[in-house]
Amino acid sequence: MTQLETSFEDLYEHSPCGHMSLTTDGMIVRVNSTFLDWTGYAAADLVGRPFAELLTRGSQIFAETRYLPVLLLEGAVKEVALTLVCADGSDLPTLVNSVVVEQAGEEPGLIRTAVFDATDRQNYERDLLTSRRQAEASEEHVRVLQRASSAFVSSSSEEELAEAIVESMRHGFAAASVAVLLTDESGKLALAAGERPGSEEGPELEALSSRQTVVLSDRRAVRDRYPTLADELKSARLEAVTATPLSFEGAASGVVLCYYGRARSFDGDAIDLQEAVARQASEALARVRLQRRLERMALFDQLTGLANRQLLKVRLEEALATGQRTHHSTALIFLDLDGFKTVNDELGHVAGDEVLREVATRLRSTIRPSDVAGRFGGDEFVVICEDADVDAASAVAERLRDVVGAPISGIPDEFTVSASIGVAVHSPGISQSVTPDRLFDLADTAMYTSKNSGKNRTTAVIVA
Amino acid sequence: MTIAPPLDTSALSRNNVKISGNPAGRPIIFAHGFGCSQEMWRLVAPAFESDYKVVLFDHVGAGGSDLTAYDRSKYDSLHGYADDVLEILEALDLSDAVYVGHSVSAMVGVLASTHDPSRFGSLVLVGPSPRYVDDVDYTGGFSQDDIDALLDALDANYLGWSSDLAPLIMGNSGQPELGEELTASFCTIDPAIARHFARVTFSSDNRDDLKDVVTPTLILQCNDDIIAPRVVGEFVHSQIPGSSFVMLAATGHCPNLSSPDEVVKEIQDYLR
Repeated sequence: MTQLETSFEDLYEHSPCGHMSLTTDGMIVRVNSTFLDWTGYAAADLVGRPFAELLTRGSQIFAETRYLPVLLLEGAVKEVALTLVCADGSDLPTLVNSVVVEQAGEEPGLIRTAVFDATDRQNYERDLLTSRRQAEASEEHVRVLQRASSAFVSSSSEEELAEAIVESMRHGFAAASVAVLLTDESGKLALAAGERPGSEEGPELEALSSRQTVVLSDRRAVRDRYPTLADELKSARLEAVTATPLSFEGAASGVVLCYYGRARSFDGDAIDLQEAVARQASEALARVRLQRRLERMALFDQLTGLANRQLLKVRLEEALATGQRTHHSTALIFLDLDGFKTVNDELGHVAGDEVLREVATRLRSTIRPSDVAGRFGGDEFVVICEDADVDAASAVAERLRDVVGAPISGIPDEFTVSASIGVAVHSPGISQSVTPDRLFDLADTAMYTSKNSGKNRTTAVIVA
Repeated sequence: MTIAPPLDTSALSRNNVKISGNPAGRPIIFAHGFGCSQEMWRLVAPAFESDYKVVLFDHVGAGGSDLTAYDRSKYDSLHGYADDVLEILEALDLSDAVYVGHSVSAMVGVLASTHDPSRFGSLVLVGPSPRYVDDVDYTGGFSQDDIDALLDALDANYLGWSSDLAPLIMGNSGQPELGEELTASFCTIDPAIARHFARVTFSSDNRDDLKDVVTPTLILQCNDDIIAPRVVGEFVHSQIPGSSFVMLAATGHCPNLSSPDEVVKEIQDYLR
């Protein structure tokens, strides 16, 4: 016969795991020898003390906010990882099983706890955890950049791009609010998307001039530099700000402001990632801006800045369609300069260009805001008037004839410039439907009538 | 006749709002802290059911809340949680509400009531702390390293703990239904959200907001509370104008579980 365990006392005291009994509010009432051997404490050091005091700070918070509530609600917990601090100050990683046992009568319940030395497991898990966190961080890094880049690539205007930057920053960095400021032609910053709480400009100007990310990680940091902004952020329930400059090929093009609802610590990696997103945004912005310039070049006359023939055609088509829908007349005014050839031949191209630019300026300042002025080619100009019948269009034409005929500074008086004008009006209800090309032809023909009957006059026709 | 606009009730399913007690009674809303769910109040809330309209809810990420509603930008500060409280009060059209907040939810109540005090009648703050990390001239009880250590502790306990791995972790791979029950029982929290919530909770600094509280406030402080030590409770008391401070006989950080009767009695005495 094998000898049976006879002493339960000995079994308890020298069991291969630590044993401990606690009150339901966590005070130690009894511990076994194994626990004392492992931790180096004497029983008298421990009894009457809160169990949580034996834990590392991180484990204390976990124990108080998670382990104990779940234990008291559930009656038992298993394999909770808690790290003890031994008498000599060293850490002992453990796994803990606990149960709540009811006592007889009015006595409050007790917590029975078994403690297992988990040093080996802990080391292995720490390695696992470290590599998992690294993997997660780099995966997150890639994900943020990919999301941003695909949103930026599909943006075709500054407005769309600015919105995409706001979304990318909000998601990528959990910012409570994001503002994208872009420079205008004069280099000043203007809000392009998002919300900018507060009126004090500070971090954005600093970022713009230093070309560096400005980090104000808590309320105090904001207050030290920008006290007004600190107050404004507080009333918007925000605390921290980062300002990341946008620039392309050395030229500043904007600033991204991220606002956070609490103090945030930004390590180098986080700032690097923000700057990487900002670089992508800067490149996308440069692309969108270049595209816009190319589009402008394709649609506007380089010399005068007026609409060119392509754009005039599009605008006229739109005007005719609108007129058809709203039953309003559409007028096309065609101007050909009288005397321009002489200026060009005798005073040279520079003077000729000057005349064309001046005529363009005068047309622009004479027409209504809703009218479109364009250069049809050479010394031919066109004005499209929406919602103008033959009388109104003729009145506009006469005004144009007056302003074009006025003396031009720098051009000697003997070189008179005037305009022969043709007006073609399309009136829904009276006129057959007409193509833009046809209306151009009719106005051109009317202009020739003016030219052939002595120049410097207006001829108007209504489309039959 | 005026027709009131329909109330937006989406907050009620998002936050798993449960209503019980006296429908005609004064409303009392209980908010749980970090690490748990509305279960935290199950020994306290029933005592109010005869006289009060009792409202319980889960923060997004905990218990039966809608995890798909988790927006990192919104919940990157306690203001996101405070907005949820305001939305719940509005969805139920409650006024003169008693807000009882434990642990971090004490500050959530402070933020909600300072942002819009109109629906609050009283605040009860159980173990409040406006800032957990020590600062110049302020003792919160923790250092930044301690907070990083908490995140380690969370990870150590949730390593791979997602709903599909839970049965394996619990050693019940042959009995998946048991594993399911364990994750679906008390105080379920989503590990990824818990991690973010921990960071938000323990990096918040709302000391500046205390002086703006205009709602009558009771502070319940435990002995030997490692998370919210007595000096912190006294600081909160000194900063909230006209607040009452009661030292409980209870010890630890969760008197709502360890000494529910005392918590009930102190709240009832204060509201009487």
